[in-house]
Amino acid sequence: MHFNHFKHSILIGAGLVLAGLSPALSQDREESQGMVLLRGLPTLDTSHSVAIIELDPESDRFGEIISEVEQPEMVHPLHHLYYSPNGRLYSTGLDPSCSLAEVGLSRDASGAPVISGFTCLDTQGQMVGEDIMWANSNGQEYMFVTFLGGTGGDDGGSVGVFDTQTNEVVKIIEARKSQVGEGAPYIMYPHGISAFEDRMVVTSTVHPDLKTGVGNVLTIIDLNELEPIENILVEKEKPLNFPSSPVEVLFARPGMHPEIEPAILANTMFGFETWKVPYDANSKTFGEAEVIYSGVANETAVPLEFYGTEDELFISHALPGVVKRYELAALPELVSSGPDIVADPGAHHMIFFTSASGRDLVAIQNNLLNLGNAADDDPTDVDFIAGLNSHTITVHDLETGERLASVNIKDRYNKGIENLEGLFGSGFVHHH
Amino acid sequence: MLRVVLILAIAAGVAAMGWMVWDRARSPVATPIADFSAPFVFGRFAVPPDNPLTEEAFALGRHLFYDPMLSGNNEVSCATCHVQALAFTDGRAKSPSLSGGELDFSSMSLANLLWGQERFFWDGRAASLEDQALMPIQHADEMGQDIDALVDELRASATYRKMFLQAYGAVTPENMANALATFMRMLISSDSKYDKYLRGEVRLTAQEEHGRKLFMAHPDTKISLRGGNCIDCHSQFLTSGFRDALDGFSNNGLDPEETLPDGLMAVTGNPAHKGFFKVPTLRNIAVTAPYMHDGRFETLEDVMAHYNDGIVVSDTLSPLILEADNAPEAGQDTVGLRMTGEEMEAIIAFLHTLTDEAFLTNPLFSSPFDGGS
Repeated sequence: MHFNHFKHSILIGAGLVLAGLSPALSQDREESQGMVLLRGLPTLDTSHSVAIIELDPESDRFGEIISEVEQPEMVHPLHHLYYSPNGRLYSTGLDPSCSLAEVGLSRDASGAPVISGFTCLDTQGQMVGEDIMWANSNGQEYMFVTFLGGTGGDDGGSVGVFDTQTNEVVKIIEARKSQVGEGAPYIMYPHGISAFEDRMVVTSTVHPDLKTGVGNVLTIIDLNELEPIENILVEKEKPLNFPSSPVEVLFARPGMHPEIEPAILANTMFGFETWKVPYDANSKTFGEAEVIYSGVANETAVPLEFYGTEDELFISHALPGVVKRYELAALPELVSSGPDIVADPGAHHMIFFTSASGRDLVAIQNNLLNLGNAADDDPTDVDFIAGLNSHTITVHDLETGERLASVNIKDRYNKGIENLEGLFGSGFVHHH
Repeated sequence: MLRVVLILAIAAGVAAMGWMVWDRARSPVATPIADFSAPFVFGRFAVPPDNPLTEEAFALGRHLFYDPMLSGNNEVSCATCHVQALAFTDGRAKSPSLSGGELDFSSMSLANLLWGQERFFWDGRAASLEDQALMPIQHADEMGQDIDALVDELRASATYRKMFLQAYGAVTPENMANALATFMRMLISSDSKYDKYLRGEVRLTAQEEHGRKLFMAHPDTKISLRGGNCIDCHSQFLTSGFRDALDGFSNNGLDPEETLPDGLMAVTGNPAHKGFFKVPTLRNIAVTAPYMHDGRFETLEDVMAHYNDGIVVSDTLSPLILEADNAPEAGQDTVGLRMTGEEMEAIIAFLHTLTDEAFLTNPLFSSPFDGGS
């Protein structure tokens, strides 16, 4: 009898061990998992990290970090995640030691996704990586990266051109305002990037230290020559008495929807405006830039990102923390397609996915730069920006905008959230 | 003194016997396969909770896979029709049957079965790898084995008794199926030229890259996009198929309505599935000729010619195939992609980049009876 009990306990134990080692079939849904870059907060003694987080409000694991790799050796965190067309994951970085990195992803023996580490890439001195896009130059695809600080200096900034296979620098596109001469096109503090045919556009945003200088132009780059050819001023109202600081940019184009007339759309971080610059693809000329959305008139501020689905364009406004939505087919005009999605102050990046029950969702990261508040003795305080950090990811029904759930990263993990991307990409079609 | 020695000797004997009895009676504690990682881009995989991946199950499954004892005449093993060097196919249009004829279908390639697939065989008649594993063994024309007789044979083997004990416990048909399924799940191929390209380790040639782009594109003459339309059905081409039960089946225009075989309809009873067969993996496709469920095409050139100009229309033909045309203005006498010869050669060049020599020669997947460990 005792033997039987012993045997049964061994059997049960072995079963539990094996069950514990086996992935539950019901836990294998990954469409709702996000990749996040988290910023360690100095006052909370935490480290920067890359993590995978569950974002389906229908999941018992909502808000749970599934895999995480920390970067305790880095003063500044990784900044923006991007998947290459071949599925390789890259991140720009704010730390001079790692301005661009490739992030390793794999699967463990249970099938679960794991972050296997990251490799900092040689940028040949280009610093403070911002946005990445893949585009062709003379039939050859390259990875283009904007570096807000470029190779340094008060008017730095560059666009790095990288080999898509080896990650090696092919060219640094640089043109300092102080060196190119009066009226000649320059690149300064580039952040947003987009392209159509053989024309690329980058923005001139703000010096990485947020005080040395602020930009107010778009820079057009000829992708045949990989050289800047034109600057376009996008500045009108100055609600903060700063230059306009264009940040994200989208080259609206027929490939997104056949009814779209080509034009650049640009959001100005400190001008609170969205600009339109028409483009004639036949003559390869740009028309007059005009404001098509005024944050001052509409009581919104700090417009940031453009994201698109198959039929809508979404623009995040950090204040009051909303995402506005527009008819994609009507671009480059902004024709509302529904009421605002009300997120939290700092509304910024977003991803689109479906819940386990098939509901279409959008998750919104509500942090601008994760900078702290002086009231908390946080040395990263910047007065204007500190109010734009809710430290949350809010999840909404995509159709109605109804807020379904929220996870506060600071409360739960003692970190800020720097960036949000989908584990399988963001589910959006036209970021750039 | 002698008495003490005797007592100690008896005590040692009792202890040894006790250990032997306990060792035989205890439930096995197999070793989880934990020290491997899989490419992220292959997607999520899931292993049945009641058949976890273990070293012992893999070893047993590998032995069973290569052992002709599994057939009624002790001459045919799983490996007879699934040859590693041919990506676990057999190079024949249809494998020979025990009765002297040929089987209904071509031997299917085995690779990356860890991913996807909720239906197995060309017509989807098995709902799991475990279900699939015993079917050929018991099929009268394939291996012709009575399962109870096989269990008796395996129980008579000290080697198999020990391997079963270490992996699962008893020698049973279910554990046999579990072991074979584990072996097949671990046939992982991830080192082809295309895998290396995805990892940034090599470049494709200009022709291979052209083929890759054609492979990925659905033709759209409105925007001058030329395409081979391959990805529409073969989106899981790096692994083994779709996770959703019936998504990976299609009618690819081989036969007219009058002679259209039942295919998946034989399993589901749904007339909409008539002529549907599994969309196979394209991994190692260059070494798995002849092609299609009945091996009717001898070369990849023949396959491309079929899709280019030889599509046969029937009621259940895939609409993705029916509408894919690079030159619709050329007339509607035939249905097909209407690509150029150069474009078809480029797609074939790309398909060759899916060959994984390391997989085809991996000693871990070879016969353990040929000196393999």
